[in-house]
Amino acid sequence: MTDAVAAAARPGRPATSGVIRRLPEYLIIWVPLLLSAGHLVSFALWTIWISFTPSTLVPVSGWVGLRNYTAVMATRNWKIAFDNLLLFGSAFVLLSLLTGLALAILIDQRIRGENVLRSIFLYPLAVSFVVTGTVWSWLLNPGIGIQKLVNDLGWTSFRFDWLVNGDMAIWTIVIAAVWQSSGFAMALFLAGLRSVDADLVKAAQIDGAGPIRMYRRVILPTLWPITVTVVVIQLQFAISTFDLVRALTNGGPGIATQLPALVVYDLMFQRGVLGRGAAAAVMMLLILLAVLLPYAAWRYLQRRRATHA
Amino acid sequence: MNKISRRTMLAGTAGLFVAPRLSRAQAVKPRLTVISQWSAGSDGAAITALGKKFEEKGGIWQHSPVPGFTTEMMNKLRAQIIAGDPPACSQLKGPEIAAWSKIAPTVNLDDLVAAAGYEKVVAPDLAKLHKPGGKWISLPLQIYATNMLFLSKRAMDKAKADKLPVTWADFNALAEKMKAGGVTYPIANGGTRPDDGQKFEASFAGMSPTAYRAGIMNLDETALKGPEIKAAFEQTRKLANWMDPNTGAQPYATHLKSFVDGDMGMLIMGGWAQGVLLNAGFKLDDFIITPGPSDNSKPVFLLNADAFIFWQRSEPDLQAGQKLMAQLVMDPAIQTMYSQITGSIPVRTDVDLSGAGWSDGQRTTAAALKNAVGNNQAVLSLAHNMAHENGLTAAMIDVITDYVKNKTVTPDQAITRLAEAVEGAR
Repeated sequence: MTDAVAAAARPGRPATSGVIRRLPEYLIIWVPLLLSAGHLVSFALWTIWISFTPSTLVPVSGWVGLRNYTAVMATRNWKIAFDNLLLFGSAFVLLSLLTGLALAILIDQRIRGENVLRSIFLYPLAVSFVVTGTVWSWLLNPGIGIQKLVNDLGWTSFRFDWLVNGDMAIWTIVIAAVWQSSGFAMALFLAGLRSVDADLVKAAQIDGAGPIRMYRRVILPTLWPITVTVVVIQLQFAISTFDLVRALTNGGPGIATQLPALVVYDLMFQRGVLGRGAAAAVMMLLILLAVLLPYAAWRYLQRRRATHA
Repeated sequence: MNKISRRTMLAGTAGLFVAPRLSRAQAVKPRLTVISQWSAGSDGAAITALGKKFEEKGGIWQHSPVPGFTTEMMNKLRAQIIAGDPPACSQLKGPEIAAWSKIAPTVNLDDLVAAAGYEKVVAPDLAKLHKPGGKWISLPLQIYATNMLFLSKRAMDKAKADKLPVTWADFNALAEKMKAGGVTYPIANGGTRPDDGQKFEASFAGMSPTAYRAGIMNLDETALKGPEIKAAFEQTRKLANWMDPNTGAQPYATHLKSFVDGDMGMLIMGGWAQGVLLNAGFKLDDFIITPGPSDNSKPVFLLNADAFIFWQRSEPDLQAGQKLMAQLVMDPAIQTMYSQITGSIPVRTDVDLSGAGWSDGQRTTAAALKNAVGNNQAVLSLAHNMAHENGLTAAMIDVITDYVKNKTVTPDQAITRLAEAVEGAR
């Protein structure tokens, strides 16, 4: 009987003691994870609920259906913000990708002072967006910035007034955002370039591939996964851009550089129409999901392919 | 339905309890929790001076300023109201008083106002904003006109002009003369939203205060599409063409030096610019203040008034504090002290401005108000949130600021968009 008890307990003992031993780990990981997920999800659900209520200054209950959504979508502010997002999002992602890749390839040439250069290009990422926006708002202001400098140097007909030109102002945000985050793309690409299999490179060299062909045919194709990651991260940033625009143009001149995040903040906290602000926020969430869901699906397929292989 | 009955009940209960409690509260030391946006400059100095007076009367003054735009202060107020802990008193102005009074119970100040005889000395349009539902729940503190015209003495010399412009035609002629005389930009402007809004409302009200009242204040559809508003948009475009195009989103104060130096000629701004100019080290001799252009030659006054609203609290010391604060705000001596610091004019129409503490600009403004009220030409400012609640105001300003900044928008397009914005925000 003692034997039976011992036999029954033996296989169990290591498992229970294992759980107890690992309890702190579970607590450390799961409690904050559940809390933050609950936090995020509950507030998202709450915002969705508010978007269907007639809330104005304070949240109230009630049901207005899709009226907040149609009201927001009918405003010129939202239309301009949405068009700007398409333009800004694609231009910013493309340009920061290309700049980052070019920088990474140049730095990858085993040059001297690589560490210093890498830090310099990464440094803008350490600056807050408000600072970036403010500095660029001075540089781009035609009365005190680049235009004035060039004019004072003698080229008096030089014009660079995008900041105060409604048609071009959105590009000033692209410039500042690319300056800020192409260093980040560079860092990821550089890591990718460094992890390319040396044998592959050697084999290509033996086959007589020149540097350009080597990059085009051998190295760059291996960077696909990194490219996708960079695009998704940058797109996420583009969709939620707020502080940069606020400091650089504050949505102006006029309402030419509105972006969805600005409209949400404006409706909720400046205009005192919480219901409409929540509706705009939910639409932003939908735009984000449109980017993130395909990415998640792609990751899933990749992993499945990897395990099958 | 449910809500209204609860509100009525609260108001009824308040009426029952406030009066006896106020008399009993005399025994406790009055205390006041206040939030406002006034933290620095002349505004900060003025409210600090008010706090000192409150303390001299034996009260405890607890002011928490929330720097930035008024809306930032409102976000704090909203949070406190939702938490069930509103300040005893907060800054709030215009139609927002009526809107906010629906979300939390306020104090009925009728008895205190009657005891001070205050109603007789406040402009009727202004009084109406502070007693939504017929009861005084808030008290105006100081008044500004948003359409005062500041003329640079040096720019006037450059234009060889000495006559002050009265109508918009005079104004336009003077601007051309300044331009010809070497003033780079006849209009000194900022690039912020209220700045652009002020240009438009000064044009519209100055051309026809009646059409402004009907169109902008009462949102009458005919007036919103009439010939007067089109002329106002055309005048606004003229102003825009005389401005420095390089101004991004900077405030008007950026250009004060150019203005005083005569590189810019005229500033259409509220009376507060006087305080800002003096604070920046310029002299009263550097500029002239006159009422904004008015085509019928009688001053038009675009009203902007700061006010305090009183939120219901059950603590006896806070209730005593509210009573003391209300008495102070209505006191002519306190209003004099406050306006002399900020450059505004007192709400009370019976304050004598001939004393040494007042400037010519303030005397001109006060005379303009008296004149405008007499001729029914005192109207509420759109750009400074006196005509409508924030949501509607902001939607209208969107159209105006876009029109000022984007010169491809025609006046007719602006009129259509303004009507759409009004429709969409309702």
